[in-house]
Amino acid sequence: MMDVQRRALLKVAAMAAAGSAVSLGNPFPNLPVLGADDLPETDKLSWKKAPCRFCGTGCHVQVGVENGRVVAIAGDKAADVNKGLLCVKGYHVGGILYGEDRLTHPLLKRDGRYVQIGWDEAIEIVAQRIFKSPATFAFYGSGQWTIPEGYAAQKFMKGGLGSNHIDPNARLCMASAVTGFLATYGVDEPAGCYADLDECNVLIAWGNNPAEMHPVLFSRFTDRRARGENVRLIDIGTRRTRTTDAANDYLEMKPHGDVAIALGIMHLLIENGNYDKDFVQKHCAFRGAEATTPTLQGEAISESEFRKRIAKYTPELVEELSGVPADQIRMLGDLFGNRNLRITSLWCMGMNQHTMGTAVNSLVHGVHLLSGHFGRPGDAPTSLTGQPSACGTVREVGTLVHALPGGLLVVKPEHRAKSEELWNLPSGRINPTPGYHTLQMFEKFCTPTNEGGDIDTLFVQVTNPGQSLPNLSKLIDGKVGLEDKFLIVSEIYPTATTQLADLILPAALWVEKNGMYGNSERRTQQWFKMVDPPGEARDDCWMTIAIAHRLFELGHDGMKDKDGNFLFAVKDDAGNEVPIWEYEHYYDINVDKHLFEEYRKFSVIKHKNLAPYDEYVNARGLRWPVVEQPDGSWRETMFRFAEFDDPFVEKGKGFDFYHSTSGDGRAQIWFHDYAPPPEVPDEEFPMWLCTGRVLEHWHTGTMTRRLSPLNRAMPTAYVEMNPDDAKAANVRQGEVVVIESRRGSTELAVWINGRGRPPRGTVFVPFFDETKLINHCTLEAHDPFSKQPDYKKCAVRVRKLSKVTQ
Amino acid sequence: MNETGQRPVEPIVGEPDSELDSAGRITTLALASLMAFAVIGYFVGLADGVPQPSGIDSEPLLKGTHHPAKADSKVVAAVTYSEISNVPMGPSVAWQAIPKSLPKSAHEVQPYDLFAEIKPSESDKEKSNFVRASRRAFNGAPPVIPHTVENTNDAACYSCHSNGMRMEGLKASVMSHGFLANCLQCHAPPPPKPFEKIDSSVRSRFVGLQAPKAGERAFPGAPPTIPHSQWMRENCHACHGGPNGWAGMESSHPWRTNCTQCHAPSATLDQAIPAQGLSMLPPIENSTRE
Repeated sequence: MMDVQRRALLKVAAMAAAGSAVSLGNPFPNLPVLGADDLPETDKLSWKKAPCRFCGTGCHVQVGVENGRVVAIAGDKAADVNKGLLCVKGYHVGGILYGEDRLTHPLLKRDGRYVQIGWDEAIEIVAQRIFKSPATFAFYGSGQWTIPEGYAAQKFMKGGLGSNHIDPNARLCMASAVTGFLATYGVDEPAGCYADLDECNVLIAWGNNPAEMHPVLFSRFTDRRARGENVRLIDIGTRRTRTTDAANDYLEMKPHGDVAIALGIMHLLIENGNYDKDFVQKHCAFRGAEATTPTLQGEAISESEFRKRIAKYTPELVEELSGVPADQIRMLGDLFGNRNLRITSLWCMGMNQHTMGTAVNSLVHGVHLLSGHFGRPGDAPTSLTGQPSACGTVREVGTLVHALPGGLLVVKPEHRAKSEELWNLPSGRINPTPGYHTLQMFEKFCTPTNEGGDIDTLFVQVTNPGQSLPNLSKLIDGKVGLEDKFLIVSEIYPTATTQLADLILPAALWVEKNGMYGNSERRTQQWFKMVDPPGEARDDCWMTIAIAHRLFELGHDGMKDKDGNFLFAVKDDAGNEVPIWEYEHYYDINVDKHLFEEYRKFSVIKHKNLAPYDEYVNARGLRWPVVEQPDGSWRETMFRFAEFDDPFVEKGKGFDFYHSTSGDGRAQIWFHDYAPPPEVPDEEFPMWLCTGRVLEHWHTGTMTRRLSPLNRAMPTAYVEMNPDDAKAANVRQGEVVVIESRRGSTELAVWINGRGRPPRGTVFVPFFDETKLINHCTLEAHDPFSKQPDYKKCAVRVRKLSKVTQ
Repeated sequence: MNETGQRPVEPIVGEPDSELDSAGRITTLALASLMAFAVIGYFVGLADGVPQPSGIDSEPLLKGTHHPAKADSKVVAAVTYSEISNVPMGPSVAWQAIPKSLPKSAHEVQPYDLFAEIKPSESDKEKSNFVRASRRAFNGAPPVIPHTVENTNDAACYSCHSNGMRMEGLKASVMSHGFLANCLQCHAPPPPKPFEKIDSSVRSRFVGLQAPKAGERAFPGAPPTIPHSQWMRENCHACHGGPNGWAGMESSHPWRTNCTQCHAPSATLDQAIPAQGLSMLPPIENSTRE
């Protein structure tokens, strides 16, 4: 038997051996080398399924566990999403548990220093602050919350405190996709699924670099070429990327050009008369924004009015607005005009982190609806998500300031009543006014109380706003020096956010706890706890329940249901309450299952039906709506709104958009006028700045920066520059320069024509590096409907370090 | 070089000789510094990172009047269309000479003999195991790329790694799985050129699964079982045979091609039998809409 100590010794020996290998000429000794003398212990190894911890693709991995530690990862061959393949992050996901600086004890800031405290004290501190002033407490969550974690936080805030100040980091990543779906179909989330990638003839990446960001999905498509299939990839982007390397066509657009391109395609479809008249007549309606106060509802317009408005978006005007040559706009128009092709559109942050995010999302849906490239396998407008449960936890559980579980809204009295009924709450408990969305929440928190900053206690779980918010100088740094503000951060490692925290709570991570995630294609996934968290680290869901129970003990009425019982009371089979608020008893029963079974009742209200928990235990995820069959089995749905697959579409109808905003089963084809970006380069700040990710690192790098193979491949953030811009600025490869905007600055090494190749006048910076925070430069200007900020375009300048600012 | 792959800085000036008087010492130091500055200055000048013309476009490719190239020059002589069928095409003589001028690898000196007797060596195996392990976070992880990657094109990877190759002490491993697009999706490259010197070390307590040393034999002489998963390692000969496999891991019978006929794989490692039945879907061709 190999104990932990011996393994550690082995590792030391291996590192020494690796060091000595250097002299033999191996220049890459960073990986831990394992002793070759030991016999295999594969018989002790057990393999269990889990979804990957990283992006929204939702690959399943097989986790190899030996002696209570994760030692290996394999792609799950039984998983429909990834069919056994992973990306470089997924293969190394097991290592995220074992960074040496894992947080293992609650830490309280006292006199400028952190001191270890016990969990009882930590929970008491949080509960007392909330008890004293529930209205000034806000909960900032995450698309990496598991479904039960998000559901518990949601119920705690909206059902318990009667407060809607709960919002997730997904506000920064997919809020515009949500509003795009709502505006178009009246209900959120894609109609298609990943099978579209297997069926389409043409794949269009709209401001999207799936080769690096969703590599498993990307190679699922490009591998078809290797099998001899004739597929066409069109890359519409603001810089050349690895996706461009594999693309048949590269359409380089100016920032915001996507709006014009979508309008141009619709113009051509109308002009050439090759839109799908039958489909549009039967299943679509036209819509435009109200003249005075635009809403997500918009107002109905006639087809002739739509024609009138779209008439000016000729390929020539689109070329002027987008920079894409008119003949390429015509090429796109012809593709969409050809009903024999199957066309799938993919997008992610490019269209979502956009001050016209809702508009451009709606327009791309409109292109597919107008052309009839919708509802057949391979014909789909598909939005991808960046987080593993942005769909599952944020969009479906509704952990947003305006939402309730299952797609319900706080502003609708009947939705509040239904939620109160399902939660067994006294009527009127749920607050009808949406709370502070992410940007407002942090602005209020960082504003002194006497100047209107009416959030004074902020609980952050499973996310790192200190690095990921835009305009950090304003939205995070403002907290420094505000004595009455109290920041609670539940984290696994020290981050840019824990630096500012008053109380740090050590969290359990991924397979250290039970969990459920929901991926980009409506697939709900489940896993079981496999190893113990280190030290005193505990589940985020437990933290919420423990705080709620302490409030219950203190006599907070909100923590009681109509009958005076604890909000999160869980009973065992014998009918006895299990004290799940005591961590020793948290795993006496499957809390995830209890919360999920309660949450599931919400899912049937808007046809987002979920199966019982146990069905997910046996599956590699199931795509909702999952509907029970006469034989008692549960059937998932791949294609929504289409009769051939969606059980909620009446036979003979062909299509039914059963949550249509016009109430007649029709989807809305929107018209939005092009508007320029909020900040464009000028004399003072002459360059466009685009931010994003690289293949090897995930979001703020908290996890991937602690994985050797990944950090070796990309050890630092950089600024990607066009060679001519570098020459003009007289900067060299690798030289450290200052990138500055009107809001802040950061120092970065120059990578001329780096991972991507930006056109002249554009620089790109990845945001993973905690030592080089590019979000000091970014803009908090946001979409009016989704409140999602635009990280993809603002004006900056590149200054040589030696040059002093005027 | 140290553990992080950085070269320790060599002292430019050695310890001053104690017998030298202080004036002499100062002179030596001053001279040495001067020389060092000059040398450093020269190289800094050379290594200026500003994109410079690489030389090829600084002067026109074709100078003066056109004249026919000599037979041994680097340029293939232009011919008329009527002559094309009679002229040997392909790599020029100069181009062909490049690989020929490299020292020959062992297999070129002595061509690979499929039927030669093979006696795998334990020490070779240990060495191979060590190199393989040094490129993986755990057994089964896709190996990281041990060389710089300038080109992200799959064809570039495939040109060496499809069948593997050896050249001047270097070995390009054979792909153990079938062709998959987007190689860098799974195989992490080394740091980008401008950031090579940046310390990328991480502090981790992760200890990966070890590579198995050997399969199990039911009795001496029985064919051993396959001790690792076959997933992504479908091509047994990538490691266990052929001229470009791993030393010490060779099969003693490389001419046999149906490996699993005798060597049993592991159903557990291969995820061969799902623990539970998977839910089935109706075929998606059911679309009624055209």
